[in-house]
Amino acid sequence: MNAVIGIFIKGFIIQQITLGLASFCTWVERKGSALIQDRVGANRAGTNFFVGDLLKTDVLVLQPLSFLARNIVLRPAFAVFRFLGSIGVINTLLNDAFKALFKEDFVPEGTSVFMHALGPFMAVFPVFLAFAVIPIAPDVTLFDTTIRFQVAEISTGVLFLLAMGSIAVYGVVLAGWTGNNKFSLLGALRASAQMISYELAMGIVFATIVLHFGTFDLYQIIEMQSGSILNWGVFFMFPTGFLCFLILFVVGMAETKRGPFDLPESESELVAGYFTEYSGMKFLLFWLGEFAEIALFSIVLSVFFFGGWNIPFLELPEGAWWAALIGHGVFMGKVLAFSVLQITIRWTLPRFRYDQLMSLGWKMLLPLSIVNLIVAAAWKLVS
Amino acid sequence: MSLPLIVLGALLIASALGVVLAQNPIHSALCLVVNLVGVACVFAALDAHFLAMVQIIVYAGAIMVLVIFVLMLLTIKEEERRLAGLFQLIGAGCMGAFFVVVVSREALQQFPVEQRTGESVVGSVEAVGRLLYTNYLLPFEAAGILIMAALVGAAMLAKTSYPRSGDATSSGSAIEGEGK
Repeated sequence: MNAVIGIFIKGFIIQQITLGLASFCTWVERKGSALIQDRVGANRAGTNFFVGDLLKTDVLVLQPLSFLARNIVLRPAFAVFRFLGSIGVINTLLNDAFKALFKEDFVPEGTSVFMHALGPFMAVFPVFLAFAVIPIAPDVTLFDTTIRFQVAEISTGVLFLLAMGSIAVYGVVLAGWTGNNKFSLLGALRASAQMISYELAMGIVFATIVLHFGTFDLYQIIEMQSGSILNWGVFFMFPTGFLCFLILFVVGMAETKRGPFDLPESESELVAGYFTEYSGMKFLLFWLGEFAEIALFSIVLSVFFFGGWNIPFLELPEGAWWAALIGHGVFMGKVLAFSVLQITIRWTLPRFRYDQLMSLGWKMLLPLSIVNLIVAAAWKLVS
Repeated sequence: MSLPLIVLGALLIASALGVVLAQNPIHSALCLVVNLVGVACVFAALDAHFLAMVQIIVYAGAIMVLVIFVLMLLTIKEEERRLAGLFQLIGAGCMGAFFVVVVSREALQQFPVEQRTGESVVGSVEAVGRLLYTNYLLPFEAAGILIMAALVGAAMLAKTSYPRSGDATSSGSAIEGEGK
């Protein structure tokens, strides 16, 4: 029973971290794109909160209380609120979510309501589920029990990530089909063809990684990268590591359907692609799934190539709670850096043409990753 | 039998019935997806994590996506109900009864399942890999050649059906989103 409760608590914590990362990506997307394009961006909502006459009272007895409430509670709170508003956090995270909640939930004619609702669900669910195998901090030993910050301690974590990636196609396909118009269907076709094509290269890169580390367990992969910076995946998988990283980065951008690969939702041709017919919270769920995918891919990159929570040349004591906290901070720092990099690329590069996208996947990345795998196997055999 | 396994079994039976009984082909395809994922869950419950993952990646993630892909491109009408002929009914009934008898006999013989102790090694990555590269090396390689031949054939079919125009529009891949 204790184990079940523990799993629920861990699941709750990791889900909150996922949502936090997704919100961070949303904010960077809104405000960062404004910075990149020399716009002002979101800065209006939440900036007109001033203390003014609030909580002022004529009753003499209550005056000290009123003074405390005004100056200790309200003034700092409003200052923080105004600051958050001025950098666009209130606008992107609070106002837009409320707006979406109260919008009309539109369902197009001639389609099943259940299937229409299943689309956004299936777009979010696999991504959130994939976080279950991610260890987010080193083990902690408290009162003689070792706690591992991983919901599902399965030995095939790498394969689980692949499996969830392949399930994620259903959300897009269902959304495009239930949209009941040509733009949605075209967007869904493009998205699923793109995701299936790039999944192959991703699978082969994962095989190369597993070949080098000799395990499918994500926790063990991170543990093997402790110590010197030369133990980080990029250097550890010596002849092939950097190419693996490059291929997986490009594939990640394509799998999240973003960056120069956002043909499924290209607004100049397809309105909004597969989620054209969605409004309100369902529309927002697609974006939530997309931003969670960005965070997931950043986590995958930092786990496989950049040592997870390991700090080069610095050994943290095993099992101490503060070491786990520092490790978690370092891990999340790497993840945030990769998320920002992905969003920056999305706002910098123009969109591919569809045939360019397909030939990049099938004629460049796939052969390159296969050659990479063969080189890695040969190197493993020789050394 | 623990509660999660009972729920899983009910889900499996319901989704399997859904595959057969649903009138809309897309609905039955989605029921099949649920069924395949449920089987993967059974594998996972038996500690065969590798088999579970491969079940999801290959069947639910690749094959069923393509099936649904094709179903959505066709304009599908709701299937009309029609009564099967007498001989069809008798044949199907006999087959079904035979199958039920065989399976339930096998299952009942081993029903009081002993509690497994320790780590199961049947479905682990190491066990499957060792078997594939020792006892079953020849069938494994033969399957590889078969798949390779199918791949080349698919590429050839896709190539000939698209006459190449002047500019480099057709990538010649098996999956072509919008054939120009």
